This record gives sequence, C-alpha cells and structure tokens, in this order.
Amino acid sequence: MTIDFNRRQFIGSTLASVAASMVITPEMALAGALPPRWASAVADVDADIAPAALELIHGKAPAGFTGTLWRNGPAKFRRGTSAAGHWFDGDGLVRRWRIADGQASLAARFVDTPKRRLETKLNAIVTPGFGTSSRKGAVLNGPDDANAANTGILPIGGDVLALWEGGSAMRLDPESLATRGAKTFRDDLKGMPFSAHPRVEVDGSVWNFGGAGKNCVLWNLRADGTLNKAQVIKLSRPSYFHDFTITSRSIVIVLQPWLQEKFKFPLSTGMVWRPELGTQVLVIDKNDLTKQRTFELPTFSFFHLTDGWDEADGTIRFDGCFEADPTFGQTAASALLRGEFIHSPRPMLTQVVLRPNGQAELIASGVEAEFPQSDHRFVGQARRYTTHVSGYRDTPFPHQLARWDWKRGKSARFDFGNDQLVEEFLFVANGSGEDKGWLIGTTLNLKAGASELHLFDAQKLANGPLASWRAHAALPVGFHGAFLRG
Amino acid sequence: MSRFIQIIAAAALTLPVLALPVPGSVAQASATAEAATLTISLTDIEAPQGRIMLALYEGAAGYDGGKPVRGAAIEVSGTSTSTVITGLAPGLYGVKLFHDVNGNGKMDTNPFGMPVEPFAFSNSAKGNMGPAAWDDAKFEVKSGTNNQTISFK
Repeated sequence: MTIDFNRRQFIGSTLASVAASMVITPEMALAGALPPRWASAVADVDADIAPAALELIHGKAPAGFTGTLWRNGPAKFRRGTSAAGHWFDGDGLVRRWRIADGQASLAARFVDTPKRRLETKLNAIVTPGFGTSSRKGAVLNGPDDANAANTGILPIGGDVLALWEGGSAMRLDPESLATRGAKTFRDDLKGMPFSAHPRVEVDGSVWNFGGAGKNCVLWNLRADGTLNKAQVIKLSRPSYFHDFTITSRSIVIVLQPWLQEKFKFPLSTGMVWRPELGTQVLVIDKNDLTKQRTFELPTFSFFHLTDGWDEADGTIRFDGCFEADPTFGQTAASALLRGEFIHSPRPMLTQVVLRPNGQAELIASGVEAEFPQSDHRFVGQARRYTTHVSGYRDTPFPHQLARWDWKRGKSARFDFGNDQLVEEFLFVANGSGEDKGWLIGTTLNLKAGASELHLFDAQKLANGPLASWRAHAALPVGFHGAFLRG
Repeated sequence: MSRFIQIIAAAALTLPVLALPVPGSVAQASATAEAATLTISLTDIEAPQGRIMLALYEGAAGYDGGKPVRGAAIEVSGTSTSTVITGLAPGLYGVKLFHDVNGNGKMDTNPFGMPVEPFAFSNSAKGNMGPAAWDDAKFEVKSGTNNQTISFK
C-alpha cells in the first residue's frame, strides 16, 4: 500500500490530536468558560493522518479476520475567529481502519471539497449549512459548493464515496484517500442530492434518495455503481428526513412533521416542527414508483432507521431511533460546538408496523438507542437483532454498545465507562445466521486522548471486546461507516 | 442540508444567460471614430465540444436584467478559445456566458432546476446564489483594442 502523505502532514496530525484534547472555541474564550471534558468529541483536526499502525491494547483479532472499516464524520469546525454553527457542518474526514494479520492501522484524510478549499484560503468559516449562516466570502453556485461530504460512506465501483445529503457523493481513491471529484451518475443528474443513507440489497445493488422540499429523487444503482434508474417523486409534505429504508418490495419514507417551510440559511432556521400533523409513512413500490400508500402514525422525530422487511400477509416492519421532538437537530447539536450540553429528548428504539389494512402502530423497546445497525444480509427479510449505541448520561454522547433482541425483548450491552464515547458499530457476518458474526466500531477515549477500534463477538457482547486497538490520534466523534471484508 | 437545492435552484434560474440573443439579432452599433474592439478570451473550458453562448451587456441596468448589446455563439474544440467583438462604444460592460456542452441550444438543468452546464462571468467573477454582481463583473472598454479573459474554473 502506498499513500501520498508527507512527513510534515504526519507531524501536524500528531500535534493536532494534542491540540484537539484541549480545544477552546472562540465562544468559550469570550465566555471565560472551561471546555467540557468531552470537548475533543467536536474538536478540530488540522491535518490529514498518514497511515500508522495502531497499538493493540486488549485481546487479539480472530484468526483470518481481514477487512476495512470506512468511517466518515465532521472534523473541522473552526477557522480564525469563526466557527461552524452546527455539528453537521464540519468538513468531512474519511477514516480508514484496517485489520489484517492481527494488526490494525488507521489513515484519515479530509475530503477536498470546494467548501474546504475556499475556507482554507480565507481562513474563515463562511459557507452556509444546516446550522451555519452564510458569511462574507461565501461562494454558492450549487449545492456542491456547500458540500461538507461528512456524513456517510459507500464503497462502490472502485471508489469510496463520501456522502452528504444535500449534494453529490464525493469520489475518493480507496488507497490514497485522495478526492477524485463529485460523482455524476448521468450528465443530466449532475448535482442532484445523493443522501448519506443508501440501502444496499443482498445482490449489492443500491437504493438511495435525495430530498429537496416536496421533491425527492429516488436512486437505484447496480452493484458496480452504475446508474440503473433515477426518478423524481413528489411528497405530500416538505419533511426533512435524513434516512429512509427498504423492504423486499418497497421503499419506505418516514415523513416527520419537521417541515422545510422557508428556504433560508441556516437551513434549520427555515424548518418548523408541526407536532399536530403527526408522522406519516410513505410506502412506494420498488417496481412502480407511482404505486404509493401513506400510513398515519403518532408524532415523532427521527434521524435513523434500519433495514425493513415484508411479512407473508403484506405487513411491513422496520425499526428506528425516535425522539419526541427535533431538539437535538434544532439546537443541541449546535450547542455542542460551543461546549454546551443541551438535554434533548432521548432517542428510543422503536419498531414500526404497517398493516395491509392501512393501520400502523409503534412498538416500543424501551431502550435508548442511536446509530441502529443490523446484519445487512437480512435486508428485506425478518430479522431479530438491532445493534445500536446507548447509555446517554453525563455527556451528550453514548457510552454503551448494545444489541436489542426483538424476540426476547431484552438487550445485551457493554458499557465502555464514562471516559469512552461510543460511535456506530457495524455487524460483520461470520457464518450463516444472524447470531454469527462480529461487531466492529470505534470509540473516543477521553482519558487516553485517543480514538480506539474495537471488535466484539456479537453473541458475547456483554463480555467486552475480543480485541481493542488504540490510535495515536484523537478523532472527533463521527457519523457513519461501511465495512468491507478482505 | 438537503434543502440547499431549492434555495440555489431558485437563484440559478434567474441567470439571464438562459435567454441569450441569437447572434446577429442584435443591432450592430454603427462604427464611429471612437469605436472599440473587445477580444474575449475564454480559458479552463471543461469539455472540448459544443458552443459557448455569450451575452455582452452595457451598464448596470443592462447587466441586471436588461437586454444584451451583443451575443455570440463560439464553437469549442479545446480548453480555450476567443472571440472578437468590434464596433463597441466605449463604456462599462459585463459578460455572462454558459457552455452549451451538448450543443442543444439551451442551458440544461437537472430535474431540480440546477444548471448542469458550466457558466461564467466577466473578470471570472463568481456569483453567490445567482449571477456575479455587476460591481464584480464590470470592466471598462476604451476606444481602441481591449482584452478580457474569463476562466470557467
């Protein structure tokens, strides 16, 4: 493996990780406040991180375990005296965690977006976003000028795609992590939004959406990453939705009553919470996108869903992490960057059941959950487990990894303790059943001032990691990832 | 984040380059002793094909929604090209142009209304949610020869 990083960048990255652990935002300095102990979760990384071996701190990797955990997340929020106004608006840093021959390594590189280039040149945050205002010097001639490429990852067609939700996927070279440019699936679809939550079928083909008010484009890619079809549909309301799901027959869009009623920057200031409207679920036939049904549910807000399935009688089930209202996205996620912890309604793991007679219901698990994940070999099929993060307590971030068993109605969980902030964990199959596999994911260890990579036996989650490695850098808490074997 | 599209699409559609004059349809200014010649050089062209549609405006009122005083359709076969406009009265001018890459005579947009073909303005000025501002795009044409280079980058 070769990668084009120079020594200066590497030294810079090490210094950055030190600086990150004691970051003070301009707002905090003005207020005279001390940074919270979780400040490194939203700290800046100032340089790319050259590939480096990780230190094995616990256990050992299972024999023959080889693969790459790709992750994405915002990692640059402040320049000069200016700062982004929202956690969702930092520059995307793509992280490549590799395990092979019992060894692990980490490399990370910022996506080279027009936003990042402009703001680097100006040494100022000027580009508007979800919770960031447009400032002097902003250049916005298309959504990709504001593309932070900071939310999700899709390795496909020889590229690693860094995903945002308001613009194009950004193509990266899987070896060097260099940015190849915005992905255009077809010339006439240039700049169309390709969200950060694609759903991958068992055959490797992909569904995704891109939202814009009442307009929504539905994407369908072949397993090789080429476009099969893209079609625009009209929604009944201009809901904001960050994720969607699929079953074997349907595309499912949850229309929360968080509506984009005005179009202004920051975008979140034009979004209005209308709890009296309830939450709707739009079910679209995969084979005929004009065949649509709408179900009515009690009001909830959400970011994330899991793979769905159909039952023999046509009942649809999927689960998600639902909140009473969108306080987190509206205000709490902005406050994080100022070092403030605003308590928002806890996200709760909940199953949605859509009956063939048009009735819909919610089944509560009773557990706090975010970043829900499942065995993606079961996409479209009945499934028993949902893996998620949990244990929200004295910081805005979770401290536990858990796996909810829908059949037994109970969780297995592992608590990393107050010093560890837990990021998304993915299921990696090891055998034919949903029980057989590993969970792989990362944490930010506040005490050690370093990010860590952990591998669990999915069946023995409560026993703790089979293996843990520590990086030489503290990376801010990220969003979503994808795992590739081999 | 996903709603950028609507804001920007609304702005982009106001780009008057969508309504370019057909070359020759604009009355030529009568040549006078003071007549000026303007050479417009275009660089950093993304695709060596199609035509670049150019509109030249005189004064702020013209640039901000008036009619162009000249138009041109420039055949593209490389990464740069140029055109010469003669018989201009000295004054302040601005240029808006787009690259009709597929040669269909219009500025194509994606299904959400965003331009999918490159566009540019005089002084290589950048717009922000719309055309570049007159103050950024304006340039003086004096009697005699004048040059204006515009990058598509």
